[in-house]
Amino acid sequence: MSETLLEVNGLSKSFDGVVAVDDVSFSLNSSETLGIVGESGSGKTTLARCVLRAIDPDAGTVRFHGKHGQYDLHNLSERELIPLRQEMQMVFQDPFSSLNPRMTVQEIMEEPLIIHGIGDRASRREAVLDILSRVQLEQDALTRYPHAFSGGQRQRIGIARALVLRPKLVVCDESVSALDVSVQAQIINLLEDLQDELGLTYLFVAHNLSVVHHICDRILVMYHGRVVEEGPVEEVFNNPQQDYTKLLLSAIPSPDPDVPLVPIDRANLNL
Amino acid sequence: MGEQKIAEDNVLAIRDLAVEFKTDIGMTYAVRDVSFSVPRGKVTAVVGESGSGKSVTANCIMRLIQPPGKIVSGSIDFSPTRTDGYDIVSLSNKDPRLFDLRGDLMSMVFQEPMTALSPVYTVGNQVAEAILCHRDVSEAEAWQEAVDMLTRVGIDDVSRRIHQYPFEFSGGMRQRVVIAMALVCNPELLICDEPTTALDVTIQAEILTLIRDLQQELKNSVLFITHDLGVVAQLADQVVVMYQGRVLEIGTVRQVLKDPLHPYTRGLLAAIPGLAQKGERLETISSVVGDADLETPYPLTQMADGRQVSLSPDLLREAGHE
Ligand SMILES: Nc1ncnc2c1ncn2[C@@H]1O[C@H](COP(=O)(O)OP(=O)(O)OP(=O)(O)O)[C@@H](O)[C@H]1O
Ligand SMILES: Nc1ncnc2c1ncn2[C@@H]1O[C@H](COP(=O)(O)OP(=O)(O)OP(=O)(O)O)[C@@H](O)[C@H]1O
Ligand SMILES: [Mg+2]
Ligand SMILES: [Mg+2]
Repeated sequence: MSETLLEVNGLSKSFDGVVAVDDVSFSLNSSETLGIVGESGSGKTTLARCVLRAIDPDAGTVRFHGKHGQYDLHNLSERELIPLRQEMQMVFQDPFSSLNPRMTVQEIMEEPLIIHGIGDRASRREAVLDILSRVQLEQDALTRYPHAFSGGQRQRIGIARALVLRPKLVVCDESVSALDVSVQAQIINLLEDLQDELGLTYLFVAHNLSVVHHICDRILVMYHGRVVEEGPVEEVFNNPQQDYTKLLLSAIPSPDPDVPLVPIDRANLNL
Repeated sequence: MGEQKIAEDNVLAIRDLAVEFKTDIGMTYAVRDVSFSVPRGKVTAVVGESGSGKSVTANCIMRLIQPPGKIVSGSIDFSPTRTDGYDIVSLSNKDPRLFDLRGDLMSMVFQEPMTALSPVYTVGNQVAEAILCHRDVSEAEAWQEAVDMLTRVGIDDVSRRIHQYPFEFSGGMRQRVVIAMALVCNPELLICDEPTTALDVTIQAEILTLIRDLQQELKNSVLFITHDLGVVAQLADQVVVMYQGRVLEIGTVRQVLKDPLHPYTRGLLAAIPGLAQKGERLETISSVVGDADLETPYPLTQMADGRQVSLSPDLLREAGHE
């Protein structure tokens, strides 16, 4: 039996009266990968940010089973959260705005280690080099600034920065969406290897359902802030119960030009 | 109906384009002797892995390359229907044609929507401004067109949303606003640089359908940059495969995706996570390409069926040349 790492109960969050996350509950086991799918604006990022307490939810509880015990994240002060942040890292959707343009890659990757007071100069450099080679970047990348990299290369830097702390929980928000298929395949293989080696747990927010199918054990399907379907990934893919899930699955563009995209028909959605 | 021949009537003809970036650590040859044409009224997709020079090529067309980047050689012949044609590369920075080029004759949808949106103006303001900038209409007319176009790209509740700022929109909705801005002036060439990469599949499907429908209705030419071969299959007429700043293969969408000549293209296809291989490691390009030579810049060779490929003499013979 694997242990529970995260228990989320009744999370809700609104912005100016717009409900972004509506009474969401789920639990996540250690070393498991949970996919969160749903259309743009369905509240995936807001849910992920509430879980990590990057923003405060309006209601609900988040219980995290950390190295040193269990914590109710929603009750902790910003100060009390600091040591826990090391165990929970986020890889962002937009590699461009999430990297400080005035810092070199070396500084970007070393910063989390310095903030959390980990290691000395030499051991930090070793940790940085180790992760850098794992995401297939050359050592000379360290002295360069984010603008000198292509979109995909920048996303690898973002992933490297999150992994350098060796967290337990990694929230990937569209982390491989901007990558070309080759690097995407390498990063997916890498995320799976790291999961095996380090027992990482992933909350994997993505719109690419074939990637989600490949990497996730279970998925949550979100629509307008609510969870409309949940289950083991094979079950949901092979036998979707909700019209909305069926619509999501039919929207995957096939690489075969003779398999045309079925136009999305929202009018007949039964929700 | 047989394979469509690539049209002779090109809106854009890129010849021997080369771009370098001089950085602290040396020279990056971002684009090396790239030649391809964009047929008028068709969708041309450029595919290739991260760093292969897709965005740099697109930025050359809009003349957006800035130091330390430099176009070192080549030409981009632009042949619009509304005005006389010219070589974009040789325009001076002060040439008034550059102003018409950007936003009127051509427009671009970028990978990151926030690069095209200002955080300090409302969404409605920005779309209306894009119209007022290039067309002789009243403010009220521009505002009405903005409402129409935003509705058209699928923004719900437009009358309220139009007064909001980009930060109040989710990633996908921001990109729809950018697409609306790019389309309001009915450009002859629409350049899309990974416009659906950050979108969920349903919105992607809707946007692809939207771009396709508008393209068929307006008959504008589209240069579509993506790394998603699913998107290519659904949208493109012609495909250009790039690798490390070079073109490896050009052909119709069926030629390239159903019968790729280059081992690299086969690798791209194999690396897509299929629904069958759950639990297995994914194929990567290198596992498919094996020891085929990707480093030598073999010239693009014209094949009998109209397609072009850059292969070593051995592989070229295997592919049935001569
Ligand atoms: N800071 C904010 N202020 C106001 N509204 C917000 C804010 N952040 C998110 N929202 C709103 O909350 C809803 C959910 O947005 P969220 O970013 O969580 O969606 P998402 O599922 O991550 O979408 P995407 O796939 O486009 O990233 C949207 O209606 C959005 O406009
Ligand atoms: N401002 C810059 N300074 C230095 N090098 C640059 C700059 N912009 C791009 N490059 C380099 O030029 C090459 C091509 O980059 P480009 O952005 O065109 O790639 P791309 O094919 O669009 O990749 P992606 O799919 O990741 O967006 C890369 O090696 C990149 O590092
Ligand atoms: Mg999001
Ligand atoms: Mg790019």
